[in-house]
Amino acid sequence: MIATDKTWPWKLLLVAILLVVAAGTWGAVQKIDYQWRWYRVPQYFLYHAEDPQKIPFDGVVDTVKTSGKTTKVSLISENEEKLTLTIATDTLRVDEGEDLFEGDTVGFIKEWRLGPLMLGLWTTLWLSAVSSVFALFLGLATGLARISKNFTLRGLAMIYVECIRGTPLLVQIFLAYFFLGTVFNLSRNVCGIGALALFAGAYVAEIVRAGIQAIPKGQTEAARSLGMTAFQTMVEVILPQAFKKILPPLSGQFISLIKDSSLVSVIAITDLTKSGREIITSTFATFEVWLVVAAMYLLITSVLSQVVYYMERRFAISD
Amino acid sequence: MIKATNVVKIFKSRAGVVRAVDGVSTEVAPGEVVVVIGPSGSGKSTFLRCINGLEAFTDGHIIIDGVDLADKKTNINKIRAEVGMVFQQFNLFPHRTVVENLTLAQCKVRKRSKKVAEEKAYALLKKVGIHDKAGEYPSRLSGGQQQRVAIARALAMDPKVMLFDEPTSALDPEMVGEVLDVMKQLAREGMTMIVVTHEMGFAREVADRVIFMDEGKVVEVGTPEHFFTNPTEERAKLFLKQVL
Repeated sequence: MIATDKTWPWKLLLVAILLVVAAGTWGAVQKIDYQWRWYRVPQYFLYHAEDPQKIPFDGVVDTVKTSGKTTKVSLISENEEKLTLTIATDTLRVDEGEDLFEGDTVGFIKEWRLGPLMLGLWTTLWLSAVSSVFALFLGLATGLARISKNFTLRGLAMIYVECIRGTPLLVQIFLAYFFLGTVFNLSRNVCGIGALALFAGAYVAEIVRAGIQAIPKGQTEAARSLGMTAFQTMVEVILPQAFKKILPPLSGQFISLIKDSSLVSVIAITDLTKSGREIITSTFATFEVWLVVAAMYLLITSVLSQVVYYMERRFAISD
Repeated sequence: MIKATNVVKIFKSRAGVVRAVDGVSTEVAPGEVVVVIGPSGSGKSTFLRCINGLEAFTDGHIIIDGVDLADKKTNINKIRAEVGMVFQQFNLFPHRTVVENLTLAQCKVRKRSKKVAEEKAYALLKKVGIHDKAGEYPSRLSGGQQQRVAIARALAMDPKVMLFDEPTSALDPEMVGEVLDVMKQLAREGMTMIVVTHEMGFAREVADRVIFMDEGKVVEVGTPEHFFTNPTEERAKLFLKQVL
C-alpha cells in the first residue's frame, strides 16, 4: 500500500459539518421569535460619555473662549469668585454676559470610557492572574510537602488536597465569603481570590508532585553525589526539569482557573460574567451578550494557550 | 583512604528481608585501583553506593579520610564532594549544556567563580576528548560521549576518590573502549578508584586488586593475576568459567 497524504476531502468535510451546525442553529433561532439587537452591544465595550459641567454658584458668564474643539468658559459669582470651566465646543449652552443660577449646565465634557464588558474583562483578568500566582506558590509548596519524608507535612498536604478536590468550588466560594469572610471580616475580593487560589492550588500540587516524581531518581543521585544539598538539587536540577514536563497540564489548570473565576460573580464581584448579567437586565439582549461573553473568555484562554505553546517550543531546545 | 568495616545493608520489602551487603570489610589505599566484580545481585553496586551515602547502610563503619559515615554528625554533603561517582545511566542533567553540567556543582558546592569553573570544565572536557561539544545539550551526544562527560563532571570537583558503578554496562559495544581509555588514563595518573564492572579485560589490565563478591559477601580478594589465573574459591572459579 502506498501512503497518501490527501487531506483536502477531510478539510472539506470539516467545513461542511461546521456549516451544517451553523445553519441548524440559525434555523432553530428563526423559529422562535427573537429580535437580534447586535447594535446594542458595542456601547458596552466603549462609549462616549458626556459629563455635564454645572455652575456651582449664582453668577454671570464673563468670557467664552473657543479654541478648536474645546471652549473655556470663565464665570464670576456675585461675590467676585472666579471659575473657569472647560467644555466641548459643540455642547456650549451659554453666551457671554448671561446670568446663571447655581446648578445651571454650562456645557458637557465628552470622553471615551470603557464599558462594563471591558471593566468586567479586566476584573476577570487580574483576579485570575493574582489567584494563579498564589495557586502556583501554594501548589509548589503543597506538592513538595506531599513527597516530603516528614509525616506531618505529608499529612497536612494530603488533607488539604483531599478536602479541596472533594468539594465543589461554588460551595468553597460561599464558605470563603459567608463563613470566613464574616468571621475574619474579609472583603469579597480577598475571599474570591482566596477561594480560587486554594482551589487551583490543590490541583497544582498534584501536578507538581507528579512532575517531580516523573524525573528519574538518577538525577537526584547524580546531583547529591556531587555534594549538592537536597535544596540545591531540587532548585537546580529537579524543578527545572519537572517544570518543563508539567507545563502543559499546568497551563490547562490555569485556563480552568480563568473559566472558574466566573463563579465569583455569585459573591457580587463584577467580573466578566456578572457584567454580562447586568447588561442583560438593562438590554434584554440575552443571546447577544452571552455569546459575546463566551467569545471573550475564549479569546483570553486561546491567547494563554498560544503563549504556553510558544514556551513549550522554547524549552524543547534541550530535548 | 577508605576503610570499610563489617558493612551491612538490609533491604526490607514485602518479599522479605534481603541482606544486600552482608559484612563487607575492605581497605583502599590512596592511588589504588580496586575492581569489584561478581554476579548480578551480589551487592557490589549497593556496597559502592554506601561509600558515598547514596544508600544508608544498616550496620558497620565506612571511614573516608578519617571521617566515619556512620557518625550522625558527619556532613554527608562534604564527603560526597570529595567522592566522585559515575553511574551506569550517566545521569547527566538534560536541561543544561555539557559545560553547565560540569560547572553547576563547582559553583554551588565548591563556591568557585563562573570563570574559574568554566576554565576547569574546558580543561577536563579536553582531557576526555569532547571539548568541541561543550555547548551542546547531553541528548545530542552518544552514550560514550555522555559517559565521558559524566566522568569529567565528577572530576571537576577535584575528588580524592572516584567510584564507578558499571560505567560501560549501558553502552553500545563500540563505545565501551573510549570510556575505558579515559578510566585507564585516570588510573595511570594515580587516582584512587573503586570500579564495579563486568569488563574483565579492564580489571586484568588496570586493577591493583580485585574483589569478588557474591550474595553480599566478599568471597575472594587478590591481585588480578591471582584472581584470573588461580582463584581459590569454588564460587569464583564457577563465575570465571561462565564469563571468560
